[in-house]
Amino acid sequence: MPGRKVLMDFEVTADSHTLAAYRARGGYEALAKALSTMQPREVTQEIVDSGLQGRGGAAFPAGRKWQGIDPDDGQPHYLIANADEGEPGTFKDRWVLEYNPHALLESMLVSAYALGVRHCFVYIRGEYDMPWRRLDAAVEEAYAAGLFGENILDSGFSCDLFVFRGAGAYVCGEASSLLGSIEGTRAYPRNRPPRMTVRGLYQAPTVVNNVETLSTIAWIIRNGAAAFREIGTEKSPGTRLISVSGHIRKPGVYEVELGYSWARFLHEDCGGLLCNKALKAVIPGGISSQVLTGKDAKVLTAGEVEGLTLDHEKLRSAGSSLGSGGMIVIAEGTCMVRLLQIMLRFYHHESCGQCTPCREGTGWMHRVIDRIVAGEGRPEDIDTLYYVARFNDGTTICGLGDAAGYAATAMLDNFRDEFEYFIEHKRSKHGGNLECQGSS
Amino acid sequence: MPGIFINGEPVDTGEHRTVLQVALANGFYVPHFCWHPELSIVGNCRVCLVEQEGRGVGIACNMPVYEGLSIQTDSEPVRVQRKAMLEFILLNHPVDCGICDKAGECTLQDYHYTYNGETARSHDPKLRSTKFFPLSERIILDNERCILCSRCVRFTREISKSNVLGMEQRGDSMLVRPVEDRTLDDDPYSDNVIDICPVGALLSCSFQYQARVWYLEPTPSVCPGCARGCTVNLWHRKPEWRLNALDRRENTRILRVTPLENPRVNGPWICNKGRDLGALIDRPRADRALLKGRRVSTKEAIDAARELILEAKSAVALVSSWGSNEELRAFRNALGDTFTCFVKSDSEPAENEVVEDDLLIRADKNPNTRGAQSLFGTDAPKFAEDTDLILIWGEGVDFGSLPRGVTVLFLGYWLLPENGHAEVFIPISVQTERRGHYTNFEGVVSAFEPCQPRPDGVIDAETLFPLLAAPPGSPA
Repeated sequence: MPGRKVLMDFEVTADSHTLAAYRARGGYEALAKALSTMQPREVTQEIVDSGLQGRGGAAFPAGRKWQGIDPDDGQPHYLIANADEGEPGTFKDRWVLEYNPHALLESMLVSAYALGVRHCFVYIRGEYDMPWRRLDAAVEEAYAAGLFGENILDSGFSCDLFVFRGAGAYVCGEASSLLGSIEGTRAYPRNRPPRMTVRGLYQAPTVVNNVETLSTIAWIIRNGAAAFREIGTEKSPGTRLISVSGHIRKPGVYEVELGYSWARFLHEDCGGLLCNKALKAVIPGGISSQVLTGKDAKVLTAGEVEGLTLDHEKLRSAGSSLGSGGMIVIAEGTCMVRLLQIMLRFYHHESCGQCTPCREGTGWMHRVIDRIVAGEGRPEDIDTLYYVARFNDGTTICGLGDAAGYAATAMLDNFRDEFEYFIEHKRSKHGGNLECQGSS
Repeated sequence: MPGIFINGEPVDTGEHRTVLQVALANGFYVPHFCWHPELSIVGNCRVCLVEQEGRGVGIACNMPVYEGLSIQTDSEPVRVQRKAMLEFILLNHPVDCGICDKAGECTLQDYHYTYNGETARSHDPKLRSTKFFPLSERIILDNERCILCSRCVRFTREISKSNVLGMEQRGDSMLVRPVEDRTLDDDPYSDNVIDICPVGALLSCSFQYQARVWYLEPTPSVCPGCARGCTVNLWHRKPEWRLNALDRRENTRILRVTPLENPRVNGPWICNKGRDLGALIDRPRADRALLKGRRVSTKEAIDAARELILEAKSAVALVSSWGSNEELRAFRNALGDTFTCFVKSDSEPAENEVVEDDLLIRADKNPNTRGAQSLFGTDAPKFAEDTDLILIWGEGVDFGSLPRGVTVLFLGYWLLPENGHAEVFIPISVQTERRGHYTNFEGVVSAFEPCQPRPDGVIDAETLFPLLAAPPGSPA
């Protein structure tokens, strides 16, 4: 198996998600330890020392984000777990919510203690039904056990948690847009400055962290930052939950120690590609990523994957990133034009429409690629796609526009011949295949 | 007050907090659609681009100023990106300027010629959307022209607070719509959204297809609708574009009324009542003097009035609160000693009219009550037993409420039945035919200018009062 575990360190059984099972494997010890022996600032320092990076997509150091908040400034603060996992190809947080919800709750309590937070929120996407029911049950168990509410574990620390279900818009996964959704306004990403740690939910300083990032906090406090640093690589400590899908024999959620060999992960742990096909490309971190700041959606070709290891620096130097951990494996014989069509349709459909370049640009690219697939492509369409993609990059409030642009440029850069073929011959070089055909 | 550099020139930021405000205040024009000085910052049009030294291109409307910040407003990267943004905005815009009322004063049109100027790159059909969507009795919305800057939505939320408008759908199908089952009829300030719309998406029903704006010119004026005294522009045809084939009145008709920005009184807004000023003025005018209902020359009428004033034992004047400061002074100087003067309210709130609110509208529906009361006191009109002559200046008096048997000298504007009931009626000029000043309820004095010719037979009140004070038989 791919290295040491932080979140998947137990066997999943019918009741392994309950409070009793979680307590039996050492649950809520970190909370007791933090409340009885640590000052809030010490908790934050521990997270800074651990080098934990955000797991939502941007890989921003979690401790640095927390340091943007002064727990003693007398203002209300809010902590939000971003469980609006809308990135196509990503379903890792779903595993945490379904099988280890108490890890998230304990971590949120510890984090709330560190940040001086009285009210926490979990923003869970509306389509997640089972995860929501499991999480809701876990919250009820925790309240019944006195782990939430007034005077937790007789420490004088009080904290309440609200589970907020979204209504299914992709853009709500963007942290500032999520705040609007909770406040009851239109879910528009907000301009920075001000940063959310200055003015966020209800105009108060707010920390929004990914579910996986938060869930790791309890482990770090229980075992110490030094133990966490031993896992993974020097610059990317810890593990990542990777949700693998696409043309792969054993899709699912895997916990991978950072720095693990990519080829080994794909071919041994995930059982290799369907139909024994050769690898054509990998979208490593969701077709974009929830925070969308790096070149997240860059597609990696087969040649690039060999010899790579799964960690943030290596992927960044390869021009991509681990993003939100939603890995899509693409086998030889897949039509990349139609794949891009699907991706662009998604971005067009999900653009919130707030800023001009993304509102108009995603629709423009979608119409162009639709026309190419319909056999009415023009030679200049490739340049048009590049042009629109270029001016979607970095010109919008949030990263959704950027991501749509990256998707198009990455595909065009790597598979330009397929696009040219499609435009010239008015048909796909690979028969328009998106599925893997042949005997598996 | 940090000092920053714009295009290499040191600039004092004053009270401003964003780069866009500083640039505009110091004469560096940065194009913008969604930003408006009175509204919140949303940063969605992405056109107000500037280059921040060392940090690349960003939007100026949300860029905070700090000491030593250095900005380029027209560098090559800015030009390239701005051009692309304008191309995106025009991607699904119908470019039907030929039939658009906004053409000629459209921000998008101006920016296109200034900053882009190229034909479209896209050959794909443009998206279609709703045209002529009625937002209220007064306003229609063309969704194809709309660039979704959200100024109108923010106006109804932040300024008029009616919360009528919102956005529906998302992405490029997004639409400005009234929320749930409401309409903009609920908003007494709704027409301001027509002015702040940077394109021709929001159109005034009364002005639609009336004139191309480049044939029109504004005359500064003051709205007489209430004691606020908002400064307005009255738009009418330029004299050089007079159309001889039309009814003569068409050439001087007030086609629309827009706010004349005035931070001391109304800011950049006016209410819908002020927009209808043209209809208020465009009523049938009285242009002949009457003696007991019989048409006479103005000279005859003045002579008759002089006799009445001379013979009166106890005369009362009901002074108009629509008179300008100049007219009121002329009245006091010429006739103030002859008459016992009271200021009357010429106009009362109409049915269904908003009486008063927190933004502009005042309960007193007369423009110059304060100016009149400063000269003639605040007492309500009352008539002594022996009153035998009443001079009524302006509207708002029911003749039936006057004491029986008194003689009435009436100075009015409109063709009304009661003109003939007065002993002497003399038509006087309305606001758009003369210049003058009003003092609003806060004491701010605003000037209005004439924009329509005074009809023959009508006399300015300011000229008339000294004539009335002269003995009978003097020249008139």
